Amino acid sequence: MDVLNWDGTLSAKDFRIGAIAFAQKWETLNLGYPPWSWVPSPKHPPLTSPQEEGYLSLEKIRISRPKQEDVDQNIKTDTGEEETSCSEKEDDIDDATLVQSSHHELQYYDFHIVYSHTFRVPVLYLRAYRSDGRPLLLDEFEKDLPACSVKELSKSKWTFITQEEHPYLKRPWYKLHPCGTVEWMKLLILGDTSQPKFEVVLELYLLSWFSVVGQVIGIRIPVNVLSDCR
Amino acid sequence: MAAESPSSVRKVVVHLRATGDAPILKQAKFKIPGNDKFAKVIDFLRRQLHRDSLFVYVNSAFSPNPDELVIDLYNFGTKMAGVSR
Repeated sequence: MDVLNWDGTLSAKDFRIGAIAFAQKWETLNLGYPPWSWVPSPKHPPLTSPQEEGYLSLEKIRISRPKQEDVDQNIKTDTGEEETSCSEKEDDIDDATLVQSSHHELQYYDFHIVYSHTFRVPVLYLRAYRSDGRPLLLDEFEKDLPACSVKELSKSKWTFITQEEHPYLKRPWYKLHPCGTVEWMKLLILGDTSQPKFEVVLELYLLSWFSVVGQVIGIRIPVNVLSDCR
Repeated sequence: MAAESPSSVRKVVVHLRATGDAPILKQAKFKIPGNDKFAKVIDFLRRQLHRDSLFVYVNSAFSPNPDELVIDLYNFGTKMAGVSR
């Protein structure tokens, strides 16, 4: 395919190829996150062949952006070492009390990259839950998101992140809206003056896509990825 | 981008190119300290173009994190590319 005439969209098959390439790349980058895994989906719309259906999944991720004083406290509490030595100060008042604080509660995130047949681009789905499995509403986890995302949320409430049914799991997940994806992906890929072949574009498509989308949820891809890719 | 003077604060010349429907800047090249964050470039453009939402990326099919230092972007051999809405 000629990249110059490319409209910025992917077919379901392209998505699968690109997704698997991205998952492999992700592992070699070693960013400190678990690997993305390809989840083949048992359900499939009649128009696509079954082996092409599925999504990428990255689960049980902790993203926390505690305030500075919390960071300091965490350093103290997270050392995992009990004070075992008995000092002469033993009779001092023990001021260590259990404080119920939502700041220190573990929150986990699941991310899925799902192909949208309507927009013909990858779409990010996410959900957040507490360590006991209770799901979190957007209002509850938005403080974990980077400041620019929170600002965007307040500005465009219905066109940024909304709750929708997960296309495969049929459960309510949050979805980052894919409108505009085609336009900025075209800018990203076609802006490249070297004009690579479509196969090369496909290899990097999801990485390029995630360099933008990851910023929304606070997962950053370091810039040195570029030197590895080229 | 082009860097110059290997002094303590290395300055980087950022060459901005408009794509999409972004207005073309009269002056396309700006010199900024290398230890400034990429966010500063974005903020600067936002003010220049009077647009709230911008899409700034480098010429390698990559949109850097705003926290990234400009000098790092330069060192990794990226070419600063377009700006769009």
